[in-house]
Amino acid sequence: MPLTPPATTDPDGGNWQTVVLRSGVGVPAPAAVSSDAYQRELTAVKNGLAGTTPEQNTAVTYWAYGGVQRWNQIARQLIAKYNVMPAYDAATGRYAAYDVAKPMSDAPFAARLLAYLSVAQYDALVMTWRAKFQYNRPALERQGVQPRIPVADVPSYPSEDAAVAEASYQMLTFLFPNEADWLKAKATEHKQSRVWAGACVPSDLQAGETLGATVATSVVSRARTDGFAQAHDPANTWPTLLARAPYDTKWQSLEIPARAPVLPLAGSVQTWFDATAVGRTAPGPPPATTSPAFQQALAEIRTISDTRSREQWRIADFWSDGVGSYAVAGHWNRIAEELIQQTAQNELRAARTYALLNRALHDATTVTWQTKYRYFVPRPSQIDARIKTVALIPNSPGYPSNHAVSAASAAVVLGHLFPGDASKLTGQANEAGLARVYAGTNYRFDVDEGAKTGAAVGKIAADWSKADGAK
Amino acid sequence: MRISILTVAIVFCLIFSGQLWAQGLVDGFMRGQRKASLALTASTESFDTYYVGTTETRNPNLGTVTTQSLNAYGVYGLGYDLDLIVNASYVRAEASAGYWPKQEGLQDLSAALRWEAYDYKLGKARLSWLFAVGYSLPLQNYVTDALVTIGRGSRNFDGRTMLHFTSGAFFLTGQYGYIRRGPVTLDRIVSYYDPAQLNPNTGYKVNVPDVTEFVLRGGVSAKRFYVDGWFQQQTPYSSGTDIGPGIPFPTNAVGFTRAGANAYLRLIGKLGLTAGYSTTLSGQNIGKASRVSGGLVIGI
Repeated sequence: MPLTPPATTDPDGGNWQTVVLRSGVGVPAPAAVSSDAYQRELTAVKNGLAGTTPEQNTAVTYWAYGGVQRWNQIARQLIAKYNVMPAYDAATGRYAAYDVAKPMSDAPFAARLLAYLSVAQYDALVMTWRAKFQYNRPALERQGVQPRIPVADVPSYPSEDAAVAEASYQMLTFLFPNEADWLKAKATEHKQSRVWAGACVPSDLQAGETLGATVATSVVSRARTDGFAQAHDPANTWPTLLARAPYDTKWQSLEIPARAPVLPLAGSVQTWFDATAVGRTAPGPPPATTSPAFQQALAEIRTISDTRSREQWRIADFWSDGVGSYAVAGHWNRIAEELIQQTAQNELRAARTYALLNRALHDATTVTWQTKYRYFVPRPSQIDARIKTVALIPNSPGYPSNHAVSAASAAVVLGHLFPGDASKLTGQANEAGLARVYAGTNYRFDVDEGAKTGAAVGKIAADWSKADGAK
Repeated sequence: MRISILTVAIVFCLIFSGQLWAQGLVDGFMRGQRKASLALTASTESFDTYYVGTTETRNPNLGTVTTQSLNAYGVYGLGYDLDLIVNASYVRAEASAGYWPKQEGLQDLSAALRWEAYDYKLGKARLSWLFAVGYSLPLQNYVTDALVTIGRGSRNFDGRTMLHFTSGAFFLTGQYGYIRRGPVTLDRIVSYYDPAQLNPNTGYKVNVPDVTEFVLRGGVSAKRFYVDGWFQQQTPYSSGTDIGPGIPFPTNAVGFTRAGANAYLRLIGKLGLTAGYSTTLSGQNIGKASRVSGGLVIGI
């Protein structure tokens, strides 16, 4: 895909509302453009352009695609890598204990990770934009440097790429500690690629890096106290929740041997938007298993299981986003990436898109988990073992469908940001929900009720963005 | 034994490709000009142990996987030194545990041309040197990217050469082949982890690793009966993935060594019965399967 310059520069971006930061981040004034120090840097960058190696050129092109988007791709890759089931030891009859250094990146983990990554990027970029237009150090292109790739015509100090690289590296390292070295190398390459490209000088990088690190510290401190550390239920309280659940037939693990459900307390994690408003979007009680509505829903899944067409299989597989994949939230991040590319959003605006989408996906997942462990509704195969599924049956209660909640929230948020694509996004979200019915893992009421919840969470997010200062 | 259930997300698709060859899609015996024969066989194979990489494992959420197939196999002598061979299969695969749907349907159509290039007399014995080229393609858009599947879904090109030695009723055939496998389109976007991937998550197509194959077969071939024993070794030629979470199954590097035996008995006229057995001695990203087969052979 040819690289294009961003469609807008958003000079007022420094005033957009941040998510975690409550006050500004101080950025020291840069050396004057006329100073010897700066001119030496500029000359070195100019001279360096002639002597770049093929590896450096590859890095330049790779990162020119968009730092925000590349770090989201990296995050998705890591989610896929860590999206594995706990190892089972047949000799002891036990599953491996939860390991913070090697977290299982299932749906709630993935949604939270992407939210933190994009919030760190977004807050760092708002601060970057503020400093850029405060100091107005002109872009290198305005000083006679011909960059190798299209560069946004915004002031170069501090470097937005260095801010994104540092914030992303620190955030992802907090979430995947074992990947620190690999992530560090990526961040270093990202920063240096901008000098090799002729997009900024080292002092621009230095300021961006410091700013990114400062913002990441604030965002990481929120992550330390958001309640996720307890989500895997170290005290094993979920059997109490199960006993308390007001549903007539209760969920059981369908795995051999059975294991504890996925992150039973993920519904208690701090939300990004107003917790009360998000909690109010939760669906009410599902139909009892003895009711005609339930029996009809079960019969539908049985019929699909018995007669599933290749096309239904394809749809179920396309949206399955289970173990080994970048999860449901990652799938919608990938869809967002296409939209960001099509509209050539600049780094700040791309970060805003992701931050809004991913906070909505996180809160949608949180309210889903609250509801799952309130009712403990069994999966269709538990009631009728003849129901076969396209996807691995998630080891969690089925009501509501997290695929449907997430898809509906994403479609509302992205439809708000990209109105021209709204109807297509709604169609994709509907298919993503239906895919779970085709897969045989959820009843239609899991999906229908989930879609209502997701749309309501999406609206909360979209409303937030109406007042964030961006036009 | 330590297993990852996610190893659940696993397993082999490729029990078949290769197996058909070993079962005689291309052997050393030329049919003869304008002669034909047709074989209709049924087979069943199963395994409860499979290889992740080359490590044996079991998965209680999969249980035993059983695959049954019906094969139609025909060979026709286009000339005294040129045969056309065609094979098609109908396959059903299912697992005994978990909730994996049974897969059933037409699998692949394979065709090959076999040419006897040279023929040497060594006293009463005879040595021939043969070449074969083959092509196979899926007969329908079956599921390739599931735990239980009937095939890998790639279009394959196969080239091989054989030395076939006969002395009286005894024979010995050695063959070596290269199977070039085409890409497979998945139902989903590839999302597996690969740190070297510069631009991940962009496509549906994955490459299926090529393999080389060695087959040694020897036995007795008389007018009314035939019996052989064979050894087959398939080795991944290009690098592939190991069974594991998130790895698109068609990209797995599959290899195996198998041994087996076939027998044929002519009953009346041109009608005969055939039976076979094979077992897996070692493997890579494939089920440790044993197989029995039986069927009718008609010479025309």
